[in-house]
This record gives sequence, structure tokens and C-alpha cells, in this order.
Amino acid sequence: MSFFDFLINLFKRNKKVSIGLYGHPNSGKTTLANQIAKDWTGKDIGSASNIPHETRTVLKQEKIVIKDGENELDFDIIDTPGIATKIDYQNFLEFGLEEDEAKERAKEATKGIIEAIKWLDDVTGVLLVVDATTDPLTQTNITIIGNLEARNIPFIVVANKIDMEDANPNRIVSVFPQHTVVPVSALNGEKTDELYKVMFKKFN
Amino acid sequence: MEGLKMDFISSEALENASSMEKIYMIIEKVKKGAVVVMEGGLSPSERAELIETTMREIDVENFVGIDVHTLEKNSSSFFGFSKKKTVVITIIGPANVMKTVKKQSNLLSMVADLNNG
Ligand SMILES: Nc1nc2c(ncn2[C@@H]2O[C@H](COP(=O)(O)OP(=O)(O)OP(=O)(O)O)[C@@H](O)[C@H]2O)c(=O)[nH]1
Ligand SMILES: [Mg+2]
Repeated sequence: MSFFDFLINLFKRNKKVSIGLYGHPNSGKTTLANQIAKDWTGKDIGSASNIPHETRTVLKQEKIVIKDGENELDFDIIDTPGIATKIDYQNFLEFGLEEDEAKERAKEATKGIIEAIKWLDDVTGVLLVVDATTDPLTQTNITIIGNLEARNIPFIVVANKIDMEDANPNRIVSVFPQHTVVPVSALNGEKTDELYKVMFKKFN
Repeated sequence: MEGLKMDFISSEALENASSMEKIYMIIEKVKKGAVVVMEGGLSPSERAELIETTMREIDVENFVGIDVHTLEKNSSSFFGFSKKKTVVITIIGPANVMKTVKKQSNLLSMVADLNNG
């Protein structure tokens, strides 16, 4: 190892890597965060649910170390609330929530979204989690990508839920041709090894 | 049934406005039920600010947030290397009014729900 490499390593060690999971409500951010944490630390980070806006405050898991032969990445996971431009409490009623609960959930969700946006200033890398069964060209995704580019924050587009029959990860590749897209299933851990490989490259 | 108000804003009208002024102007109009059609697009930080401001303004009974849609055109750079898309029209309206929005490459059509607005 040259002296120069030594210095670079020293610098890297001191620089904290914080990887934010961003995306729409229900895209699978918490499920993916749990999968990564389970793979490398053995425990979960937060609760996942089919009801949108399950995560309403930013959750942080410090010091996750992922390894693959020579490669090592040492980081904090920041699981953020799903970002939306609208929140209608009546949608939660369909999931069996009481009116009061639904209104409270909506209120908390608005605060969570503001917190998620604020955290864009503090993350050093991002996994943009996109539900591959849905249209990827949305205000949320465009806004997140635009802000990451403006801040020069490296990111990976994770095409999630490829275990589902109507998943179409190629659509995500075709609308974001200039970005790195990795298809996975956060739920059953399919292809997460691929994701880790790309993470070593992008975030180290 | 009340009518649908639409406000058209030219890019010149926004030229000298700060980001905050732009966003408050949009949100004020949308909160009153209007659909805003704006020439040009918002910057990434303005888009984020628009979402933040919307979240602050949401009140569960009367204002459930916004829908944003854009029409783009391909604008190749001087050397023709990168094909970047430029937003030419931005449409922002109350989420409960903008019911169905269909977008094909060059055409965006919207059906407004006037019972909700
Ligand atoms: N089939 C399938 N379902 C998934 C996958 N990943 C997540 N889900 C499901 O999608 C729903 C939402 O998952 P979450 O992890 O809570 O989504 P989130 O992005 O954290 O959502 P918010 O916290 O509301 O922003 C849950 O029912 C998950 O079980 C996947 O890879 N495949
Ligand atoms: Mg979550």
C-alpha cells in the first residue's frame, strides 16, 4: 500500500457514511432496511406495513458493516418516511383504521415527510427504493433524484418487489437510463447480494 | 356545482420572484381550489420546498395536498451529446380536484372532480 492509499484509507475511515432509504410510501424502504440489518447485524430496524405512511419519523441504525472478500462498507442506515405530495386520511379508513387514528396518522405523515426532506442535507448516499409494479416517473422520484444530483450525492435506484408478477424493473431502467438500477426483492432477499456489490462501488 | 378556476402564469411573471414567493403564490391559489398552469418548471430545490410547504399547509378536513404534472420537451445540448428533458409546462392542482390525469408523451389530459373542490 502506497502512502497515498494509506492517507485515502485514513480519510475514509474518519468519514461517516450515512445511507438514506428514500422513496414513495409503501415502496419497501423499511423492508429493505430490515433485510440489510438482518443480513449483517441480525436484528430489525422498524416495522413494515401494507398501510402507507407506516414510517413517520426517521429511523437510524448505526454502524452496519457489510463485507465481501476485500470489500467492506461501514455505514449508518437512515430509513425515512415515504415522500408524497398529498395525504388523504380517508385512504387509511379502507385499511380499517378509526377516523381519529387515520387523522392522526395523516398529521404525523406530513411531519415525517418534512423530516425526510431535511435529511437530504445529512445523508452521504441514497438507496432510492421504487416499487417495480408502479409507474416510476413520479413527482416524488423526480424530486428526490433532482435534489441528489444537485447535491452530488451518489445513489442507487432499487427496483423493488421483483417477486411480484406485474413487476417491471425494465421500465425503471428505461426511464432512468443514466442511473444505476438494481432489481431486488426486499421481502425475500432475492438479488440483495447484487445490491451489496453495487453499494461497495458507489458508497465507498 | 361550482366551476373550476384555472390560473395561467407566464414565465415572465415569475422571473423576478424568489423561490419562496413562487411557492407561496402557487400554494395560495391551489389551496383555494385553483389549478395552476405554469410556463416552465421548478428547480429541484423548489420542488422539494413545494412538497415541504404543502405538508405544512395540509389540514385533514380541507386541504389534502397537491398533484403535480409536467410536460417536457427534448432539448439536445449544443454538441448534441446529452439529451436532456426540459420542463415546458407545470400543472399543479389540489389533489382532490385533479382526479384522472393521463399522460402520453406529448399530451396530458385531466378530468377535474368538481364535487370535491
Ligand atoms: N411482494 C413484495 N412485497 C414487498 C416487498 N418489499 C416490501 N413489500 C411489502 O410492501 C409493503 C410496504 O413495505 P414497507 O417496507 O413498509 O414500505 P415503506 O417504503 O417503508 O413504506 P412507508 O414507511 O409507509 O413509507 C409491506 O406490505 C411489505 O411487506 C417485496 O420485495 N416484495
Ligand atoms: Mg417504512
